[in-house]
Amino acid sequence: MKWRVIPFAEYGAFMNMAIDEAVSESVAAGGPPTIRFYGWNPSAVSIGYFQSLEKEVDLHRCRFEGVDVVRRRTGGGAVYHDRSGEITYSIIGKEELFPKDILASYRLICGHIVDSLAFLGIQSEFKPINDIIVNGKKISGNAQTRRGGVLLQHGTILFSVDVDRMFSLLKVSDEKIKDKMIASVKERVTSISLQRTVSRELVLEALLGGFTKGKVFRLGELERTEFDPASKIAESRYKRDEWNSMR
Amino acid sequence: MKCEEKIPGGKLVCIDVQISGGKASAVKITGDFFLHPEEAIEKIERSLLGLSIDASESEISSKIKRSLEHQGAQLIGASPEDLARIFKKAVS
Repeated sequence: MKWRVIPFAEYGAFMNMAIDEAVSESVAAGGPPTIRFYGWNPSAVSIGYFQSLEKEVDLHRCRFEGVDVVRRRTGGGAVYHDRSGEITYSIIGKEELFPKDILASYRLICGHIVDSLAFLGIQSEFKPINDIIVNGKKISGNAQTRRGGVLLQHGTILFSVDVDRMFSLLKVSDEKIKDKMIASVKERVTSISLQRTVSRELVLEALLGGFTKGKVFRLGELERTEFDPASKIAESRYKRDEWNSMR
Repeated sequence: MKCEEKIPGGKLVCIDVQISGGKASAVKITGDFFLHPEEAIEKIERSLLGLSIDASESEISSKIKRSLEHQGAQLIGASPEDLARIFKKAVS
């Protein structure tokens, strides 16, 4: 099985989610399993499928700051995707390429990130269900879904982190303890830059190595037959209030 | 009426229940858990409609289990028993 790897590229939030969906459809139709690296331009907030938009996101603040907000089709939590502060990946393939057990498949895919970080000299470990931690602090969050026989997992690796900005855009359930909560999140989150001085290019190289280890692959790009449907999916789903305010 | 709980070793679940005439008339389950396929949540919520506020946790969890089984759905980061406990707390 030959994998396709799509090198890092930036898109808007709606298009990023739509591309993951369009590639899942092309994989379901027999297309190559695909690993894609991407960034968010402009910076954006994504929320999990089951989260309440209103409860999780300060929509006024996001609008004021030009930060897009999108609901993912995967579960999990709210994420602030800073344009220069993180790198996102998606891995999409037929379910039989991965362990049937969900936790085992998280462990396998998150293992690629652990390997990549090790290449950069950062020791990390998978923390079930869906996190990767360095010395107990979170450096990567991941979310998976399976449908139509296709597994999609996407996740984010923090390159540099600005917790204050993150919490100016995300809501805290109890405003009275906001300061305390931000302080405690600062204690519990880390980034590549806080661990090592490395360039983004080197991180991307390490991720390419980690994700393709033991795989036959070629560097490729999105096909027209994926990009065009993705543009339509962005319009018909991810840009729409009906989708984003669904819960 | 609402109850939110972070499940130890699992995820955050919030269940919002509206009650009319001693029965659940609207149910919304939100949080950062996982469920494959995601759309299964709507039928799970619907399966709890009409439940009496006196329903036992085992009655509630068996409704959730049945809905998951019917849909071939898998819940990750919370169990049907967790959801039943949170539902029960929400209506109590």
